[in-house]
Amino acid sequence: MLQAENVLFTIVLIGYFAATILNFAFVILKKEKIAKAALILQTAILVLHTAVLVLRGIGAKRWPMTNQYEFAVSFAWALSLVSLIFIRKYKFPVLGAFATPLILLMIGYASMQSREVREMMPSLRSSWLAFHVSTAIIAYGAFGVAFILSLIFLFRGRMKEDGFWDQHIPQPEKLDMISYRSVSLGMLFLTLTILTGAIWAEQAWGSYWNWDPKETWSLVTWIIYAIYLHLRLRRGWKGKTAAWFAVIGFVCVIFTYIGVNTFLPGIHSYA
Amino acid sequence: MKKIGRFLSSMPFAIGLLVLLAAICAVSSTITQGLSYEAYAAQYGERTAGLIMALRLDDAFHSWWFIGLSAVLCINLLCCNLIRLPSLLRRSRAFADPQRWAASGAGEAEAYGSEPGRLFKTLGMPEAKETETPKGQKALFAVRHRAGLWGAWVCHLGILLLILGFALGQMTGLQFTLYALPGQTKSLGDTGLQVTVNDFRAELREDGSAEQFTADLTVSDPTAGTTENGTVSVNAPTTLYGYKFFQNSYGWGADIRITKDGEPLQTEALCAGDFLPVKDKPELVIYFQAFYPDYIMVEGSGPSTQSMLPRNPAYLYQVYYQKQLLGMNVLQGDEKLTIDEYTVTFENPRNYTLLAVKRDHFTWLVLIGGVIMLLGLVLAFYLRPAAVCAVQEKDGNWHVYAQSVKGGVLFRETFEKAAGETGFVMKNEGDSSLRSE
Ligand code: HEM
Repeated sequence: MLQAENVLFTIVLIGYFAATILNFAFVILKKEKIAKAALILQTAILVLHTAVLVLRGIGAKRWPMTNQYEFAVSFAWALSLVSLIFIRKYKFPVLGAFATPLILLMIGYASMQSREVREMMPSLRSSWLAFHVSTAIIAYGAFGVAFILSLIFLFRGRMKEDGFWDQHIPQPEKLDMISYRSVSLGMLFLTLTILTGAIWAEQAWGSYWNWDPKETWSLVTWIIYAIYLHLRLRRGWKGKTAAWFAVIGFVCVIFTYIGVNTFLPGIHSYA
Repeated sequence: MKKIGRFLSSMPFAIGLLVLLAAICAVSSTITQGLSYEAYAAQYGERTAGLIMALRLDDAFHSWWFIGLSAVLCINLLCCNLIRLPSLLRRSRAFADPQRWAASGAGEAEAYGSEPGRLFKTLGMPEAKETETPKGQKALFAVRHRAGLWGAWVCHLGILLLILGFALGQMTGLQFTLYALPGQTKSLGDTGLQVTVNDFRAELREDGSAEQFTADLTVSDPTAGTTENGTVSVNAPTTLYGYKFFQNSYGWGADIRITKDGEPLQTEALCAGDFLPVKDKPELVIYFQAFYPDYIMVEGSGPSTQSMLPRNPAYLYQVYYQKQLLGMNVLQGDEKLTIDEYTVTFENPRNYTLLAVKRDHFTWLVLIGGVIMLLGLVLAFYLRPAAVCAVQEKDGNWHVYAQSVKGGVLFRETFEKAAGETGFVMKNEGDSSLRSE
């Protein structure tokens, strides 16, 4: 089972690499057909990517999202899924050109992590864990897409007048709106993540909020996106200022996921 | 005065507060909380350590200024919600008022055509109501997702309840940790209750890692003469006498047997980390410092254990006489410690359970606040209110105009697409000055 997973994982890694190359070719050659090919490839790879997670779950006999490797694979999976939904829903192939490198980075990070299946400590064996991490990866995927959209928003103003970009990147108002939709999705799921995490901590340790660094950073992230939502409601700050907060928010997401374990002490250090 | 009040309940002020709170949380998380001045001085140097203590950054989340800032945020939020309630009620009523829409005659997206019913349906609007414009024209009107107007308000209410529940829980709650070997009885803080651990099982896997911990408890109230029994394991707490018991962790303990001149003097169960004064000579104290189930001496770093299985038990002890350290060492297996006429043996190593015990009467409020907050987010993000009105012109055709809240350009696109599919002709981009909000 784990062997099959390893083979599939390598295929997925190569697949996202190919999709990234295709997307770059699309942007450089400005041929819409290439974007279509990249989109079809990404969709096919997502199916295999899902299979990696399923095989991992069967092989380890548990929810496959509990260590750095599994979480990175899941994070990349959510990025891929959410970006595909947004590309298709808003007919926005350039989003794929920015999303696939990010997915590739995340899968690359996963490939550097230990793939050993370790038994879990008893406090981790809770059905709340499955809810907690599943909602977290959806939130992270959505914030990742919002991050990309905000970068596009911020760079759009600086790009030269060019028929290709004007045709393929929506007007700022629409871009801002799509970015807002993805932050909304992320905010809803991050709130769910924090709530399910609190319920689980209450059951395992007897205290739903302990201010440990990972909890604190999830709160920081949550506040940053709350600020984004409020900035959007004000005329002067709508647009650029808000977009910057969506960028900062994703930096916080990455720090909560990787930085906290590396740089700060706390009981969450296992995941 | 009024101006200041308005600023304090305004959104720019709220945004400033949120930025400040996020910054404080981020900075505090980089400082290990709850250490002593000496520990900070060793880590950061004396000047920074002094600053940390002065700013209470050693316990930032319980410092007066953090609590103060949170309180200001709550007041800000409460005022904002109270101030907005009447206007929100009015707006909510007006949003569903057919007469008002029929009279307005314009929206952010407008089109002309002959079959308004089909356009309403394609837009996914509910059944349209018939009404009349002030000029007596026939009009159709439909509104959807009006509840979405309440999203932010409900979300803010949830946050307020959540913070209130958290604060009340912190102020009135009690929390203890308690550890005991099977068979031991300990008192639960100053509550007057007695907790007996009847049994404690650590289920280990073959590799020695932990699978599950389970403790059987009896709690008794000596004054009332009653008892309650329960079992706790990890992720499965139980409630006894209104206190919630959690299986938190475990450790090792053993029986300490002391003989004097070969005669049995004293046998007691002791957890690692506990002190035992000798019965007839209390100035002489045995400190059971640590237990190593699978003992190994590591060059350079000292005693350690290779696994959690008791394959090669060893006990680290210290002996004090009148608070002076006499000596320390490791006893392996049944090695004995002799101090003058006393002989000390450690035996029968076994696990003790570490329990967290809590009473918090407001957890439910936090949970309800959380659920309401979540509901508010769903309302705010996914129930996007929209109103569509169709007015019959003199030529028999219909002028359809629509207004959305938060749909923006995406709503206009949807409208345009639906209009195209149902044979409507778009009026040029609605005059933006007519877009309410
Ligand atoms: C952690 C704190 C807060 C969170 C999570 C939060 C959340 C939200 C959300 C989700 C929305 C809806 C945004 C949208 O629909 O795009 C919103 C709107 C709003 N918030 Fe907050 N909020 C917070 C604090 C505050 C505070 C302290 C104020 C005080 C003035 C405030 C004032 C407003 C206002 C005026 C709106 C617009 C309401 C509307 O459009 O109907 N918020 N907030």
